[in-house]
Amino acid sequence: MTNTNNTFSALDISWFILMSITTANAFVAETAEPSLAITALICGSIAYKGRRIMDYFMELNHANSTIQFFMRSYFYVFPALIFLSDLFSEELAALTAL
Amino acid sequence: MTITATDFNLNGSGSVTQEPETLNKIPGNRAVWVGIFAEMTEFALFFLVYFIAKAHYPEQFNQGPLKLNTLAGTLNTFALISSSFFVAKALASIRLNDPKKSITWLWRAVFCGCIYLVIKIWEYHWNVDQGITTNTNNFYTVYYYLTFNHLLHVTWASGSLLWAIRQLKSGSYTQNNHLGFTAIACYWHMVDLAWVIIFPLLYVLR
Repeated sequence: MTNTNNTFSALDISWFILMSITTANAFVAETAEPSLAITALICGSIAYKGRRIMDYFMELNHANSTIQFFMRSYFYVFPALIFLSDLFSEELAALTAL
Repeated sequence: MTITATDFNLNGSGSVTQEPETLNKIPGNRAVWVGIFAEMTEFALFFLVYFIAKAHYPEQFNQGPLKLNTLAGTLNTFALISSSFFVAKALASIRLNDPKKSITWLWRAVFCGCIYLVIKIWEYHWNVDQGITTNTNNFYTVYYYLTFNHLLHVTWASGSLLWAIRQLKSGSYTQNNHLGFTAIACYWHMVDLAWVIIFPLLYVLR
């Protein structure tokens, strides 16, 4: 019984956390001036939200380790790429110029 | 290896016994994961295009999000997160042998999917009224390409949820046989995951 209550709470808490982070992101979108610190914060929130959804909604915390690895990697690699593409935007433009 | 009745916490459904389907296994089936990885790769290519376009047109990508409707993007995020939550609850309910409750949760998820579609279509109309079209500049081209592609995914994923409801009603998905339902749930969560990256890229980051 206790176990059931705890795990139902885990889903509910995940939903609440995800909604709160989304609200904070929207607040940032409306108020904050662009900066590397803001970009880093948003990238962190993407990684955390992705992990939360994968672990608690998608059940990957118990699943096949290969699927777990690729899915989790996606949400480490892309937030990192977002940050790096912002940090090295001029280099990226030069590298991809036709 | 056969996994039998052991207690472990799975997807919020509590101390579940005889529920070995995802423990160290592929949730759902292999086919759906081929589809999920194909879709994730497709979105990954879109994101790479976004990075390159942003590097070449920084001013357009700096000003672009300011003219978009952040409220619409935020409400859509709320809708998708809630729908994922409802799908997880629906899966938990069928594991506890409560198909009626599972159907109720799934209808809530479908409702959220519909809310998403209505908001997105309204947002497109609002954009056009503001003079924002696919040809306005490179940022909006990427915006329309990404969001419309995602909208298509939400549409057919909502259809798959309706299919799951039909299967639950007919008794095809039961406590002991719902791998198809798990596969549909995984696909729906993937659609939500893609939006987790799209929303900040288009509406938040400048």
